[in-house]
Amino acid sequence: MSFDSQAHLQRLMPGLTRREALAAAGSFSLLSLPGMALAQEPKVLHYGRLSPFDSLDPIRQFDLDSSELVQLCYGTLLAYAYLDRPYKLEPDLLERLPEVAADKVTLTLRLRKGIRFHDNACFPGGKGRELVADDVLYSIKRYADAKLNSKSWFAMEGAVVGLDAFRAASAKAPVDHRTAPVEGLKRIDSHTLSIKLTRENPLFLFSLAISSTTAVAHEAVAMYGDQFGVNPVGTGPYMISKAERKGVLRFLKNPNYHQSYPSTGAPGDAEKGLLKSAGRKLPLIDVLEMPLIEEPQPGMLKFLKGELDWRGVDRANFTKMVRRKPDGGFELTPEFAAKFEIYNVLGVAVTYINLNMKDPLIGGNKALRQALLHLTDTQGEIDVLLNGLGQKLKSIVPLEFPGSERDTGATYPGYDVARAKALLAQAGFPDGKGLPPLLYRVAGTSSTERTAFDFAKARYAAAGVQLRAEFSDYPTAIKAAEAGNFQIANLGGWVADYPDAENFYQLLYGKNVAPGPNHSAFANAAYDRAYEAARLMSNGPQRFAHFRTMNDIIKDEVPMILRANNVRFGIRQKWLGNFKRNELVPEYKYLDIDMAAKKKGI
Amino acid sequence: MLAYILRRLLLAVPTVLGVALLTFLLFNAFGPDPVRAALGNHATPEAIANLRAQWGLDQSLPMQFVEFLRQIVTFDYGKSYVTQEDLGQQLKAGAWVSLSVTAPPFIVGGIVNVLLALVIARWRDGLADKASRALFIAGMSISALVYVLVLQYLLAYKLGWFPISGYVSGPGAVVYLALPWLILLIVAMGPDIRLYRTLFLDEANADYVRTARSKGASEGRVLLRHVLPNAWIPIITNNVTTLPFLILGSFLMERFFSIPGIGSLTIDALARGDLPILKAVTVLGAIALVLFNLLSDLLYAWADPRVRLS
Repeated sequence: MSFDSQAHLQRLMPGLTRREALAAAGSFSLLSLPGMALAQEPKVLHYGRLSPFDSLDPIRQFDLDSSELVQLCYGTLLAYAYLDRPYKLEPDLLERLPEVAADKVTLTLRLRKGIRFHDNACFPGGKGRELVADDVLYSIKRYADAKLNSKSWFAMEGAVVGLDAFRAASAKAPVDHRTAPVEGLKRIDSHTLSIKLTRENPLFLFSLAISSTTAVAHEAVAMYGDQFGVNPVGTGPYMISKAERKGVLRFLKNPNYHQSYPSTGAPGDAEKGLLKSAGRKLPLIDVLEMPLIEEPQPGMLKFLKGELDWRGVDRANFTKMVRRKPDGGFELTPEFAAKFEIYNVLGVAVTYINLNMKDPLIGGNKALRQALLHLTDTQGEIDVLLNGLGQKLKSIVPLEFPGSERDTGATYPGYDVARAKALLAQAGFPDGKGLPPLLYRVAGTSSTERTAFDFAKARYAAAGVQLRAEFSDYPTAIKAAEAGNFQIANLGGWVADYPDAENFYQLLYGKNVAPGPNHSAFANAAYDRAYEAARLMSNGPQRFAHFRTMNDIIKDEVPMILRANNVRFGIRQKWLGNFKRNELVPEYKYLDIDMAAKKKGI
Repeated sequence: MLAYILRRLLLAVPTVLGVALLTFLLFNAFGPDPVRAALGNHATPEAIANLRAQWGLDQSLPMQFVEFLRQIVTFDYGKSYVTQEDLGQQLKAGAWVSLSVTAPPFIVGGIVNVLLALVIARWRDGLADKASRALFIAGMSISALVYVLVLQYLLAYKLGWFPISGYVSGPGAVVYLALPWLILLIVAMGPDIRLYRTLFLDEANADYVRTARSKGASEGRVLLRHVLPNAWIPIITNNVTTLPFLILGSFLMERFFSIPGIGSLTIDALARGDLPILKAVTVLGAIALVLFNLLSDLLYAWADPRVRLS
């Protein structure tokens, strides 16, 4: 390695210590041809994090920000294809998708050979060893340990033979994650393991794609103990170089990473140039530099100066930088269009309002609930409060998932005061007379929630319905909702745990009442039958028929009022290539940067 | 003096106990549920019970309070609910960073503002005095947030004189801290100079000052040798009681300039319901306030020989 490389890196990344620069330069030197000094300037991506991560220990996080960072350091057994839509699973640490035995409950998982953990002091000689089946078994047991409180335990709860019993035992006494047996987890050979499920469950594969169930090295857990959350040692595309929770996170490319850029994508990707890196070894960017920038102004100013490569756009800057096109899409204003690109994609979250089916007034009066549905002006809220960043929903499933309204043809009523008044009269409250103010519980106390409530209040008042708001933080609101202490509740919505419609229909399943996510306490036999029939089916006409049944029940009984699919909006520098916003995998390892253009600046 | 100090320290104990009790009640009895916040949407009754037991939240409130008192006495506040990191290390690291943000403008501003107030008092009721009064009142009417937003935009983004945000440890931090320092200096100027000017003018009308003038002392000598020493006590009060807040940092500066001090740590803890951090910061702040009040009293005795500590 050359000291010139080290000095050059320090110029690119102020704050890089000499030791870090030497380490980085050393890592890049592995890419150089023998006899040559470092030929190419390292590619550095700058991205401002919006919040400090909780932990880089896979089992101790389940927020979006931490999960993205964990996936930089750790490969998952399965992952979502970067370019394909709808989202689909593909093998990552595995050679191929798990083989399902004839009994339909035994899965055989074969690991790719030659995948290595990052070099780290926890290994003999500091050299990362090969990933083996024992690591996966160890990690699943660690994930199931009740004392370690994995937030995402629900993904495997009840799914694997013997794992729940293991978890129950771990709550009472310490367990050895390396040796304690679990009936449904078996090592077949050094790179093969089997998992026996409690029942046929196609959804189980999604749990092998979440960041919490990735494979970790027991040596690293033993060495770092409580500090494992800031000392990740994984098999992912990047290695941590600097882990400051509230400062700069720096990642260096893993030169031994096993994946290549995809050769196929969704229709239109080739035309957009998203396949030009096909077959190239990943990751393409050498260094990720991620300072924490929580406030919108400094983040946007740094982006406008070229110090960040991509960023979401906050509301204040949105109105200045973006305008609607005649077709309803978005474009940058001319001042910014010459310098930047925007992206807007449908997200994987839905918002809705819960109605308390156990409340004597709300739960006992279908006409009243239907009136409230017709008084909810979701499109107005999207246009006025969200700058058009949302898509009104006709079914509970995000639009990018199979089984959404695109597949089922669902319909859903909109804001209609006349219809609402008629229904109110039918409910025994003509023009709202005799109807007491309804308790409207809101999770959140910021100006955003208050403005949204004021908007809803004005809309409801058009038909004489009065609302009485209670704002509280999220945990308090959830606790109150579970206790049935609300009539109408805006608890924020639901973000997909995995890309399957089941993850959304389960929100109204009768067995998922509190403490589950069925906050409406909806219990409908026909709905439950359709849900149970559909939940483990593969997508297709039969399954979508069950979805239609559930959609119709939701529309008729109104246990919840559907609102919007979120839209993710952001802006990026023109020198950032291969960018396709993905809601389920972090894009970083696929991105490329034209460093000459970046150096030239804006 | 020693007896006085010991007596004051003993008197501080019920004060700190009171703060601890109030903090405990506010966060434990009335605050949000940290277990639900930690476990998220998919919390099951078993997971909730398990985590409560781990965090000692299944104990009765009196027992939890006893444990809290033990933490205060031993300065061992345990671990963050969110990150599982040791709080002692986090707070220590954060305190130094926060001090690097707040201490320099405090010290420089303290000296500069006193001197400026003396100069303005020297030419009281003149054009400079009237103009500065109007300027400082206008300046005080503007929220600190506006200074941050405008100066960050103008001086960092438009003119490029400072980095927009960021922080590095070590001597390189000066580059990143320069703009926050400047903003803190500007924000403190108005209230401090107006206060000091008033103090100096009050003293300037005293009999002993009239005597000094009648004896032929120059106005400068009158201000420096007679007025300033007699105005020390309120100046000390104004500054020493600010000292604990230096350690707590400037929430605004740390947030907008991405500086990892205690201020931003506290805001994050508030947003995420990380009660151990909030309780630790509150109680440590109370202890610091008590200690610095004592320091303030001791400095009175130094500043004014007439003050007897008893």
